[in-house]
Amino acid sequence: MVGTNDNGSGLNGDRGPARVRTIIVAGQSSERTREVLRALSGFTNVIWPTSLESVLAQTSSKDAGCLVIADDLREEPIDEFLQEARELQRSLPIFVITDPDDVAEAVSAMRHGATAVIEIPPSYAALCEEVSRAMQ
Amino acid sequence: MKDLPQTVFVVDDDDAVRDSLRMLLKSAGVHAEACASAQDFFSIYDASQPGCLVLDVRMPGMSGLEMQHELNLRGLTMPVIFITGHGDIPMAVEAMQHGAFDFLQKPFRDQELLDRVQRALVRDMENRARLRHTDRIRERLASLSPREREVLDLVTQGKANKMVAGDLGVSQRTVEIHRAHVMQKMEAGSLAELVRMMMAVAPPP
Repeated sequence: MVGTNDNGSGLNGDRGPARVRTIIVAGQSSERTREVLRALSGFTNVIWPTSLESVLAQTSSKDAGCLVIADDLREEPIDEFLQEARELQRSLPIFVITDPDDVAEAVSAMRHGATAVIEIPPSYAALCEEVSRAMQ
Repeated sequence: MKDLPQTVFVVDDDDAVRDSLRMLLKSAGVHAEACASAQDFFSIYDASQPGCLVLDVRMPGMSGLEMQHELNLRGLTMPVIFITGHGDIPMAVEAMQHGAFDFLQKPFRDQELLDRVQRALVRDMENRARLRHTDRIRERLASLSPREREVLDLVTQGKANKMVAGDLGVSQRTVEIHRAHVMQKMEAGSLAELVRMMMAVAPPP
């Protein structure tokens, strides 16, 4: 596991102590995406499980706040994986980070259960906004 | 009542695209109607008409995405396939988040569109069958007396007749009679079927 942070603060701003929700990242992601995701670990747990199986196991956990499918999974059959994650947690926000030209993949991801698709390189502000909204 | 044929409505401001799509659909044996704008579509469309929509994203006046919003506001569940020559991810995501059936970028192969249209027509048929089913359940629900409705609500929450009797302040025998009427009026063969019916008409969470 890489980039784990357990500072216990949560993404709840000034509303006092809250249960820490975890951002689960599937895939290793590009350097830029990784930087942005690491920055989020200042606010909440960000974990990079090492296999898709462990991603799915984390997805079922009660602390799962959202799932981010990173851009390096583009070559994988992510539709099936997405569907499986969606079936495990109906209400879990799932974000797919993808190539800006790949509209077909974005459409397919949405059809298979993604909450939103974020283009590479994701801006810190955009990702933070999406994730914060999803984790509330 | 005679069933209306499934129709594909092509809404695109470009005459050439509209005509070629209509010809393509016709050659595949699909009945198609072409409209030059969202306003044209709404002026001819009858909600009882089954089918799907092939909708251009960029149109003067009401855009494709605005038209989708309007369809949602009017409660029209016809599957929408967006077509565009200038699509990007935020646009595709917005369309899909608002319930688009598909989003195709031009240029596309004829077969690609025909496959999606066929799937959209199947989806529309399923949606309409589901709606007919829920309408029938609602009609049966409307035929229940207020007391029968109370009994229905309590038994579908899993309460036994004795508990229902306690909650309503009536005898267990009275509950049994109401319950038998409920089963008969709802045309339910079992409690499980009754619960499924109630779930089918429950508002989404």
